Amino acid sequence: MEILESVKMAVKTLTANKMRSTLTMLGIIIGNASVITMVGVGQGAQRYASDQFESLGPNVLFVIPGSSESRNRTLDAPRTLTLEDAKAIATQVPTVSGVAPQLQTQQAVVYSNRSTSALILGTTPDFSPVRTFDVAKGRFISDLDVQRGTRSVALGADLAKSLFGTSDPLGQTIRIKNISFQVIGIMEAKGAFLGNNQDDVAYIPLSTMSDQITGNTSPYGTEVTFISIAARDENSVGAAQFQITNLLRLRHKIVTDDDFTVRTQKDALEVVGNVAGALTIMLAAIAGISLFVGGIGIMNIMLVSVRERTQEIGLRKAIGASQDDILVQFIIEAIILAALGGAVGTLIGVGGVTLVSMVSPLKAGVSPAAVMIAVGVSSGIGLFFGVVPARQAAKLDPIVALRSA
Amino acid sequence: MKTIIRFEHVSKVYGSENTEVRALSDVNLTVEAGEYCAIMGPSGSGKSTAMNVIGCLDRPTSGSYYLDGVDVAQLNDHELAHIRNRKIGFVFQQFHLLPQLSAMENVMLPMVYAGIPLPQRQQRATEALTRVGLANRLNNRPNQLSGGQQQRVAIARAIVNQPVLLLADEPTGALDSHTTQEVMAIFAELNASGITVVMVTHESEVARLTRRVVWFRDGQVIHPNLSPTDLAQVTVAAV
Repeated sequence: MEILESVKMAVKTLTANKMRSTLTMLGIIIGNASVITMVGVGQGAQRYASDQFESLGPNVLFVIPGSSESRNRTLDAPRTLTLEDAKAIATQVPTVSGVAPQLQTQQAVVYSNRSTSALILGTTPDFSPVRTFDVAKGRFISDLDVQRGTRSVALGADLAKSLFGTSDPLGQTIRIKNISFQVIGIMEAKGAFLGNNQDDVAYIPLSTMSDQITGNTSPYGTEVTFISIAARDENSVGAAQFQITNLLRLRHKIVTDDDFTVRTQKDALEVVGNVAGALTIMLAAIAGISLFVGGIGIMNIMLVSVRERTQEIGLRKAIGASQDDILVQFIIEAIILAALGGAVGTLIGVGGVTLVSMVSPLKAGVSPAAVMIAVGVSSGIGLFFGVVPARQAAKLDPIVALRSA
Repeated sequence: MKTIIRFEHVSKVYGSENTEVRALSDVNLTVEAGEYCAIMGPSGSGKSTAMNVIGCLDRPTSGSYYLDGVDVAQLNDHELAHIRNRKIGFVFQQFHLLPQLSAMENVMLPMVYAGIPLPQRQQRATEALTRVGLANRLNNRPNQLSGGQQQRVAIARAIVNQPVLLLADEPTGALDSHTTQEVMAIFAELNASGITVVMVTHESEVARLTRRVVWFRDGQVIHPNLSPTDLAQVTVAAV
């Protein structure tokens, strides 16, 4: 029998039983939609994180306390990174153009009768050029502020709004941990960095931070959480990383294990790429399982259908259908169900991805590879899970089949 | 005259050694072209098994069966399917029409498996349905037809590939006496036009309308060539 005739016949059978056909397809539809959505979201997350690091600029480096190994072992990072380290880097490493040590903690911030919790970030004037983050109004922390430990604060855009509303915060006094600070500047809106809203932050001089807010907690000097560094240009990033590492090893008298890590933007991108890649694979695997379950659903319904259609199969054999004809007929039915389910699922998946990219910052995209794989896999699943019921149908003894009335 | 069916020492054994059932035991039987014959016998006599072997749905355990000169025992599944498609037309007690197809489409089905192109299929299906008096029911589904009409569709389906043998298994078993007459008239007419007809039945009123009765008992042919008019004495003897 011609394949076109088999397809026509299969379509006729499937449309005669619309409800069941739809239910059978449902598993594949859901599986396919979730594969495409999950892969799209995973890749969107990857792109989002990459974009964030890209936006830092290619010549940014970070020094964080603890080696990548020791941070795996201990919950609490050793507090070995100090303000003095940052100063040494600034003065002794020639390939560095700016050094911004940061010390941060979460605190209540109060203005008149309004109170909110915000991140308090102690830093130096270099923070602004290193992180390319400038004030919109007023001024940022100056060297003099750091030197004297003044109680000056530059507010992030969102924080300024939540404390002051529409009135002008410049020159006003706010209280952080019950200490009065004068507002000297309002930062421009910067948006979130890796999920942390950089506009909901109060920026104060590092010395004020360590002396009056956190207290000196490190035995080595003024502790910092983090040092952001700008290399002179993109080409000197590698040299800067090498020089900073050597300098810090000398300063920390390190013989074996580093108690700090110097990361470049490239390192960070690599880490993000690895994490997001693993996330995407995990999401795809979970979605793949549902696709597989959908395939089993097809097999299940097809097996029931073979039972139910024994008489039809017997009759077809009696009037001249060979085993191959019956086999092909049932396999085609399964493939049509799977392929159609795959197509509908793909449409829903594309819709889901579009919705995610509309309501979240993730720039989720539909990857053509994901679509092709999902549709290919679901048709393959139809073939694979269709074979067992189809063989059962083909092997049916026509006499038994016809007598089963 | 051409021989359509020839059984030579045909036996059919079901089950394994311990639970062996000899459904057919050394049966010899010949049916010539153009005959109109009924296979009769009490239940368990082997008439259904004989019917399955004649229809190439089942193969004999031993012996030879020649259908239209071809030794069927030697054929594989594919060739058997081909024989069923081209040489035999089946009519069943339960009609066995596909509910999702129209009368026309049901009749076209054997031609689909024969690989006949659509226009020719439509033309021949229309002719066959006209021949059984259903020219005005071409597009009705089986559930829109009466039992007699459904059986006539099944007959049209059986003759549409111009088989050498029309094989009917209790064709009137599901019909009332009036429609039985109608359907039997069609069989008589088809036979008159030259088609060989063999039917299995247990109704003597039906068998009486044929021209030869083959009587089975205990897997053997007791009376290979009984005149339908002598049926009464055999039936009485059997009881």
